[in-house]
Amino acid sequence: MNIVVAMKQIPDLQQIRIRNRQPILDDVPLTLGNIDKNGLEAGVNLRDELGGKVTVLLAGNENIEDTVKEALAAGADEAFLVIDDSLDRAESSVIANVLAASIKQMEEPSLILFGEGSGDNYSGQVGSRVAEILNLPQVSFASSIEIKGNQAVVTRSLEDGEEIVQVDLPAVIAVLADINEPRIPSVTQILKAGKKPKEVLELDELEVEAGKAMVITTSNLAPETERKRVVVKSVDELIQALTTEGYVGR
Amino acid sequence: MDFNLSKEQLLIQRMARDFAEKYIEPVAEQIDRENKIPDDILEGLAELDLFGIPFPEEYGGAGGGYDGYVLAMEQIGRVSGGIAMTLSAHSLGLSAISVFGNEEQKQKYMVPGCKGKHIVSFAFTEPGTGSDPKQITTTAVKDGDHYIINGTKRFISNANWPGAIILFARDDESGKPSGFIIDKGCEGYSISEPWDKMGMHGGMLLDVYLKDVRVPAENLLAGPGMGYPILQLGISFGKVGVSSTALGGMLAAYEEGLKYAKEKMHRDKPISRFQSVQLKIADMAIKYEAARWLTYRLGYLANNVKDPRQFAKEAALTKTFVCETAFEVTRLAMDIHGSYGLMNDYKISRLYRDTIIGPQIEGVADMQKMIVAGLTLAD
Repeated sequence: MNIVVAMKQIPDLQQIRIRNRQPILDDVPLTLGNIDKNGLEAGVNLRDELGGKVTVLLAGNENIEDTVKEALAAGADEAFLVIDDSLDRAESSVIANVLAASIKQMEEPSLILFGEGSGDNYSGQVGSRVAEILNLPQVSFASSIEIKGNQAVVTRSLEDGEEIVQVDLPAVIAVLADINEPRIPSVTQILKAGKKPKEVLELDELEVEAGKAMVITTSNLAPETERKRVVVKSVDELIQALTTEGYVGR
Repeated sequence: MDFNLSKEQLLIQRMARDFAEKYIEPVAEQIDRENKIPDDILEGLAELDLFGIPFPEEYGGAGGGYDGYVLAMEQIGRVSGGIAMTLSAHSLGLSAISVFGNEEQKQKYMVPGCKGKHIVSFAFTEPGTGSDPKQITTTAVKDGDHYIINGTKRFISNANWPGAIILFARDDESGKPSGFIIDKGCEGYSISEPWDKMGMHGGMLLDVYLKDVRVPAENLLAGPGMGYPILQLGISFGKVGVSSTALGGMLAAYEEGLKYAKEKMHRDKPISRFQSVQLKIADMAIKYEAARWLTYRLGYLANNVKDPRQFAKEAALTKTFVCETAFEVTRLAMDIHGSYGLMNDYKISRLYRDTIIGPQIEGVADMQKMIVAGLTLAD
C-alpha cells in the first residue's frame, strides 16, 4: 500500500520568544507540525501492518531538505519535495495545487494523509482542497483508520459524538492529534534519515499554475479577557461563586 | 567557525529531551526516593540507542559520535542525574573496549553493551587507592591459560547489572596494573549493598569483591601491564559523560532558578524584578553558556583523539570546570529559592544533592587540576 503523508515545515513553536507581543522568528529551528506528525505515525503504522511504502510530501523553501529528515527518521521511506521560496508563506490554495500536482506524479497512492491543521496557521484547508483537485473522497477529524480490502473504515471524532464512515480508496484522510502518539526516533534512525531516497523538484519543474496568493499575518494575539474580580469572604461563598459561574456542581 | 548544530545533532538532542520529559520526568522523584531505575525506562533507553551512541555500528553502536553523545546526555542529565551517571559509567567501560579491545572482545562485549542488553562497569578504585594507580592491591596471578584475580573494588557504578566489568589488577608477570574484561556474576564475583550516597540516586555505586575469580587469558585487555594507558584514556572518555551529566544538572538548576524568580512574588512583583536576583540570573546564564560550549567541544575532540595526553588535559579541564560550575549554578538557583529551596518538595533540593557529586567522582577536582597543570607545564 502506497501512502503519502503531507507535512508542513514550521518554526519550532517551543523555541519562539515573544517580544512586544510579536513572535521573534529569527534563528528559530524549523520543524514539522505536531498534528502532521500524527498523520505520519498513522501512515507508518498502516505500512508496518499492510506493507508498501510511506512517501512524505513537503512544499516550502530550501530548508525543507533538512527539515524532512525528521519525518524520514520517524519512519517515512522516502521524500518528495517541492522547493521554492515563494511557498514559504503561500496561501492554502497555492499549496494544495502544488501538493496535488506532486501526487499526480507518484505511483497512485492508496491513501493521502494530512494532519487536521498545520502547526502555525491551522487553516485546515489543504487536505480538503487536495481531495477536490484530485477528485478523491475525503474524511476529516479521523481518530482511527482501519483498512479493509479496498476501503478505509474511519472513526471521526466530532464535538458531540463519534461517526464511523467507510470510504473507497484512494482517499484523503485528515487526522486528529489524538489518533496516536508519534514515535520518538532512535539515534540510528536519525542518522540514517539523510540517506533515504528523496525526489527534489523546483516549483517550475512541476508545471502547475499554483497561484500566487500569500498569507500575511498582521496580528496573532489571544483575545484580551477582563478578570471578573469576584471577592469572597468564606469557603462557602467561594463555592457559591464557583457554582454560579458553572465551574463546580455541573 | 560555526557554532550551529546540524539537523541530525538537533534531532538527537530533541529525541533525548522528548524521552526524558515524557518518560523519565514522571518517575524522576521515584528514582530519587527508591534509588532504582524502572525497567521500562532502561528498555526505552535501549530502544533509542542511548546505550551506544558514540560507538561504531559494527559493534552494535549508533555511530552518533561523542558530539551526539554529549547532546543526548545533557538532556538525560537535565531530568535524572542518576540515569545519566549510569549511562556515563557504562560508556566509559565500552570506550575502553572500543579503543583497546581486539576484534573478538569487541564483538563479544560491545554488541550487547551498545544494545543495552548489558550494562558495563569500569573498576579501578579500591579502598586504599584514591586516584593513584600505584596503590592498586588487587592481584592477577597467571595460572596456565587463566588469571586468578583477588581483591576489592570500591564505588563501582553498575556493578549490580549483568555485563562486562573492565577491572584493573596487578598481574604477577609484569608487576604492573593490567586491564581485564570480566563477566559480572561469574564465580567468585560478589557485590555489596549499594552505597547510600547523598545524590544521583538511580546511579548506584557498589563495592565489588573478587575471590579466586578465574579469567581466561584472552580476556586481558591490550596486553600485560597496559593498565595505566587504558585507565588514562578510558577515564578521559569517561569525563565526556561526567561533564555532560553535570551540564544537564546545571541546565535543570538554571531553569528552576529562572522559573522561581519569575513566579515568586514579593510586594506584588516577581522577585526577578529585584537587582540582587537579576545578578544571580546573569551569573547562571554566563556559567551555563561557558560550560555548555566547553562540554560540546570536548565531545567534538573525543571524536578524533590524536594525542591521548592532550585529550587527557582537555578532558580534565572540562570536567573540572563543568562539574564545579554545575554546583555553583545550583547554589545560585538555591539562593533564589531562599528557604523554600531547602524543602524536598522543591526540585532544586534534589539538584543540589546531585550536582555536588560531580566534582568528587571520576577523579576529584584537585587531581584534575594537577593533571591540567602537569600537562600544561610539560608542553
